[in-house]
Amino acid sequence: MDSPRPNERPTAFDRVLTPVHRWIWSDTDRRVQKLFRFGETETDGGRDILRAAEITSDPLLRRLYLEHAIDEFRHGVLFRHRAAALLRASTFNSNPGFYGAWLAPGGHGLDDLQVDGESDSDMLAFLHLSEKAAASRFTVYRNVMQHDPPTRAVFEEILHDETFHMNYTLTQLARVEPERHRRHLWRARLSRLWKAYLRLATGIAGVFGSILLTIQYFVLLPPFAWLAKRAARRELSGWTTVSNERSESLDRQY
Amino acid sequence: MNILGISAHYHDSAAALVVDGVPVCAIQEERLSRHKGDAAFPLLAIEACLQHAGLEPDALDAVVFYERPMLKFDRILTCALRAFPQSWRAFPKAMKNSLGEKVWMRGIISSYLDVPARKVLFTEHHQSHAAAAFLTAPTRRAAIMTADAVGEWATLSVGDGERVSNGPTKIRRFREIRFPHSLGMLYSTFTAYLGFKVNEDEYKVMGLAAYGRPTLVDQVRKLIRRTSDGAFALDLNYFEFHTTAERSYSSRFIELFGPPRNPYEPIDLNAADGQRFADCASSVQRVLEDTLVELAQALHQETGLPDLCLGGGVALNGVANARLLTESGFERVFVPPAPGDAGCAIGAALYCDRIHFGNPDRDIPDHPFWGPSVDGSELARLAREDGHTAAEFGDGALIDQIADDLVAGRIVGWMDGALEFGPRALGHRSILAAPHTTEMRDRLNREIKYREPFRPFAPVVPMQSAARYFDIQPSGMRLARFMSGVFPVRSEWRSRLAAITHVDGTARVQVLEPAMAPRLHALLEAYGRRTGIPVLLNTSFNLAGEPIVNRAVEGYSTFLRCKIDVLVAKGTRVVKRTSAIPKTQVDKIREEVA
Repeated sequence: MDSPRPNERPTAFDRVLTPVHRWIWSDTDRRVQKLFRFGETETDGGRDILRAAEITSDPLLRRLYLEHAIDEFRHGVLFRHRAAALLRASTFNSNPGFYGAWLAPGGHGLDDLQVDGESDSDMLAFLHLSEKAAASRFTVYRNVMQHDPPTRAVFEEILHDETFHMNYTLTQLARVEPERHRRHLWRARLSRLWKAYLRLATGIAGVFGSILLTIQYFVLLPPFAWLAKRAARRELSGWTTVSNERSESLDRQY
Repeated sequence: MNILGISAHYHDSAAALVVDGVPVCAIQEERLSRHKGDAAFPLLAIEACLQHAGLEPDALDAVVFYERPMLKFDRILTCALRAFPQSWRAFPKAMKNSLGEKVWMRGIISSYLDVPARKVLFTEHHQSHAAAAFLTAPTRRAAIMTADAVGEWATLSVGDGERVSNGPTKIRRFREIRFPHSLGMLYSTFTAYLGFKVNEDEYKVMGLAAYGRPTLVDQVRKLIRRTSDGAFALDLNYFEFHTTAERSYSSRFIELFGPPRNPYEPIDLNAADGQRFADCASSVQRVLEDTLVELAQALHQETGLPDLCLGGGVALNGVANARLLTESGFERVFVPPAPGDAGCAIGAALYCDRIHFGNPDRDIPDHPFWGPSVDGSELARLAREDGHTAAEFGDGALIDQIADDLVAGRIVGWMDGALEFGPRALGHRSILAAPHTTEMRDRLNREIKYREPFRPFAPVVPMQSAARYFDIQPSGMRLARFMSGVFPVRSEWRSRLAAITHVDGTARVQVLEPAMAPRLHALLEAYGRRTGIPVLLNTSFNLAGEPIVNRAVEGYSTFLRCKIDVLVAKGTRVVKRTSAIPKTQVDKIREEVA
């Protein structure tokens, strides 16, 4: 590599998961899907940071956020282009079935952050931690990508920016809140933890819900399905007359 | 009487406030939340509407939701049952999706706005479309046709409307075609097959169609057959949208049309596959137009009325609208500026006012500018904070300066007055440029809009000059008012209007009356005085994947991120310097922290 290598050290958790990441990234199909998803995540993150640039009253932060957002949009393009190139080259014989979305998450989608309601200091603290986590993960992804130098180069390039983002958010947080910036960081850590718990809980609830609904589908629905199919067979295609008296009442939901 | 209309939860949420029978504010949620096509409950839009009118929620006489949630749920559940057991994957998702929030709209609206549940009312989806199309059009009696993907059950409806000045209003729907038989779903299925986003990129299919030939019309007609009563029915063997959420076309569809396009591959129109995709687009476009024209002809014969009001997402298809005007028998065709679901917010509120409460008819101002106004001083402040020179002009001087900019080949971000309601930029949030060369079109595609090269740009022209450059009859002026029709560019002008002339020699022209957007009209005239051609390229002020800008700060951040040369908000003009953002301070920080 011509450029200096970003010197970010992965967290212990990410280091422990290195073999899993290596396995996840080993399959081309999985790699393509993940890169496309990363592309979306970076672009979404870019939009949120752009929003932060539009609502902050601090001119310096506005410029930094804007530059940050432009970087994120560029990352999205880099990921998408690389995924498209892999897609073109791939024959897609493999069918991994499992994409490891949870085990190998992307950058830092800010989906769960209401940018409009955040103060500059909360936003900076959140961004700093997100960028730090992303830099840690991307370092692992880069390290396990020896077999695919172009994808490795993409992570390498993005890591440079992530390091900058991670650092400027910290220095700006110290500028905006010189006395209380550590408190903001801790609050952001706790908030991330709480949101991670909520995501996990929602995910588990979603799985339970799906299982219950699927059981209901096969246990309770068959007779109704039979009736519905029978009714459908009798239904004539073409025009249906509208009862205007019925539809003029606005009180009903059905 | 204060009535709030809401559309939400499918795509493009919006709110509209009608006070004493006239809309005072209407805005799409995406313009405030900055998430394109935002389908969330439109809290920001509601707040903006109430704030605009200085009202508290308890001053509302009614809040009208644009469709009947339980009827929609009935359709979703029935379709899942009919598709048993193939629908087993889609069923849990559909149930969670519906039962989570969507069916409880009365309670949700009541609790969000703190209004009594009895004040929350519901129109039918196509009723809202019909009201939005008819009650905002300057006509007293008209036939009404609405068509979209699907509402509750209806996918297309026909009827008529009558209103008497200061008197009662009637809207009747005679009959409807029901899901899964849907022109909108047919078009959307091809949208997905051609690798575009459903409910968002249908206009790309229309743009691509001009590059193809309708060689696959016979195949498309296998998908949709006319019924003996003059309606149509889809052959469901070719579709999957009614059984799964994953894919809208079936294996038989692929057997008929070949492998679908990979969304991540550009369309190469010189390659066989690229041409096949263009032919597919052209063929489905032709079938859509033919079907709509036949339905409208029958409606014209039935009603004998000279005017047709068109609503629903299908009415965004400008090529089909122009054919309806020339071939259906109707003398005038009215399409509102927001014919899609967002426009249902206005439709629902007006329907409630005129029909439910029986209030007398009122004329609706004939423009699309129902959103928040732009603040020029905000742009001046932002630009100065960043070290740009922001000049503030009087009206005449600004128009002259911008006309000079455009003549010099500069691309102008133009923000003026209130935000448009609907998907088109009609002169208040536009990117303007000289329309004469293909280089300008390519530059816009490459450096600003970042979009597919096959997509055309639209022109705007003063009404009195429109017929000189475009083959447009007086009856077509109405369609062109809100950029709802596609018309031929006169052949002698095509080479001088190359940036806005599509490959088939047409353009989706906006014809501008001075009263609708006076400053843009003055700019067109000033530009005409300099170049002899009072036509400008007019494209929406946004970048790919982003909603149209609303406030000055959003225009400013867009301006900094792309190669727009000049930004105007009301009387304030900012010019981009070589370096868009003063780099020194940011660079210093980069050095410090890297």
